[in-house]
Amino acid sequence: MPLWLGVAPFALAYAVLARNAGLSIVETQALSLLVFAGSAQVSAVGLFGRGVGGLEVVLTTFLLNVRHVLYGMSLGRVVPMTRRERLIGAYLLTDEAYGVSVARGARSFPFVLGTEVSLFLVWNAMTLAGALVGGVIPDPERLGVDFVFPVAFLALLVPLLRLRVDVAVALVAGAAAWLLAKWLPGGVPVLGAGVSGALLGAWLTR
Amino acid sequence: MSFWPTCLGMLAVTFGSRLTGLLVRMRLPPFWLRFLHFVPIAVFAALITPSLEGSRGEGGIRVAAAALAGIVAWRTRHLALTIAVGLAAFWLLRLV
Repeated sequence: MPLWLGVAPFALAYAVLARNAGLSIVETQALSLLVFAGSAQVSAVGLFGRGVGGLEVVLTTFLLNVRHVLYGMSLGRVVPMTRRERLIGAYLLTDEAYGVSVARGARSFPFVLGTEVSLFLVWNAMTLAGALVGGVIPDPERLGVDFVFPVAFLALLVPLLRLRVDVAVALVAGAAAWLLAKWLPGGVPVLGAGVSGALLGAWLTR
Repeated sequence: MSFWPTCLGMLAVTFGSRLTGLLVRMRLPPFWLRFLHFVPIAVFAALITPSLEGSRGEGGIRVAAAALAGIVAWRTRHLALTIAVGLAAFWLLRLV
């Protein structure tokens, strides 16, 4: 599945960044097994690396993943599921699994589950590979491994910019976070710029 | 750094969000639907800018390499290719 081609290197990049931020192999893997949310994991280890407190990391994770509410509502309407299937389906729900399930017109739980499980396996296998490799890279700081962080988020952001208002929101939020980061520590600029940028976008499109 | 409480907190808010949508039958007001559309755009942008310059006095090189990566992302929408080009440009510009 071509989806793996995007997921595998992202998992690798996540794991190398996590090891670089000081997480152990077990901790790096635990986030992939328990949280299983690519962009939130990368942002979390980036914030960990800057010494940001746990509460801000959790709040940023919430902000990044609250969109899953929408995926669940949409998926729950087209695919009939039992209560137990909903629990499993929710645990493994991702952007990619949702996108594929909806795009291919999935009507059955096994199809959704198959997509989700395959992504989960690839994500965790590549996390392990990256965690092992990331630990033996000599002097990752000098290689500029921390530069992967902004570039990875740039690669996630740019495809989302479809309309002019999307670009405007990105520019305002980016500038606001950059300015706030000069005065405020850790994850506060991300949370502040993220929430106000999204509010601005919703208001501009009223 | 308290890793495990943070990890469990991340699990709770992520799984919570995923499960809420699947369990609850509700309709969000249009304003909040649009808000959710803009959240990843605003958050990703807010994650990029504070970490772009870096702390090693290589701000110019990093911004230039990121700009090139941005063009690749725009033309190809390919995640891995974007990261690879950004890193390669960064390393090359450093050598110059």
